[in-house]
Amino acid sequence: MPEPRTHTRTEPRTSTESQVDDAWRVVVLNDPVNLMSYVVMVFKKVLGFNETKARKHMLEVHEQGRSVVWIGVRETAEAHVFTLQQWHLTAVLEPDETR
Amino acid sequence: MKRVEKRVEVKLSLPVVAPLLDIIRELSRELEKSLAAPQALHDLDQEFRGAWIGELLEGQQEDLRGLLGLFNGQFFSEGVVAFDEKNAEPIVRACTALRLQLRERRLKVLGDESLETGDVDMAGLDEPARKAFMCYLFLATVQELIIQHLDSTIIGR
Repeated sequence: MPEPRTHTRTEPRTSTESQVDDAWRVVVLNDPVNLMSYVVMVFKKVLGFNETKARKHMLEVHEQGRSVVWIGVRETAEAHVFTLQQWHLTAVLEPDETR
Repeated sequence: MKRVEKRVEVKLSLPVVAPLLDIIRELSRELEKSLAAPQALHDLDQEFRGAWIGELLEGQQEDLRGLLGLFNGQFFSEGVVAFDEKNAEPIVRACTALRLQLRERRLKVLGDESLETGDVDMAGLDEPARKAFMCYLFLATVQELIIQHLDSTIIGR
């Protein structure tokens, strides 16, 4: 994936910059093409889920249209989104506003 | 101790699969310059977004080359294709890219619900759509085969 961005701070942070250190969510959206078995496999492989957790999130995507599959620092979230996109899942990055 | 490499050989029906290769090659050409699943990357700055998309595209092209490599001399002489640890992942991903492109460019007429349930009246389709749908099903079958036979030992690692 593209080199992770580094954040060297020499000046006060702007509001946009402060988001960098906040929590971010990796959200997978439903699509009508990918097989359920494929999505489960990708979740296991990319996110390290066990079968039960992978199936739970796959069903959430299928039934609710989206599932939050990971929450944490921006850089890691970006890496997960990139890898999920390499597997052609529709994955987006969202600020976690629940914290 | 030497690890035994897992390999699955599948014999395909040449008369059924060979005509689908034209579509697969066409779709692969279409996917040389665009992503099968366009992604919303609004939150990335322009330069980073460019690098991000460039790398996704490069990976997509490499996966498609892997899939096309399956249909070599052994396929045309014996109808046999082989999946192993090296090609399993790229092929599974390439099948997804092609299925997404089929939906976008060849199968809009069916609607997403029919695509998702597979409930399609083949007799009611014109020849290009029928061929595209056959290709869509064939690629799903390849994916299922790989996931079932190689998942736990190779892909799931």
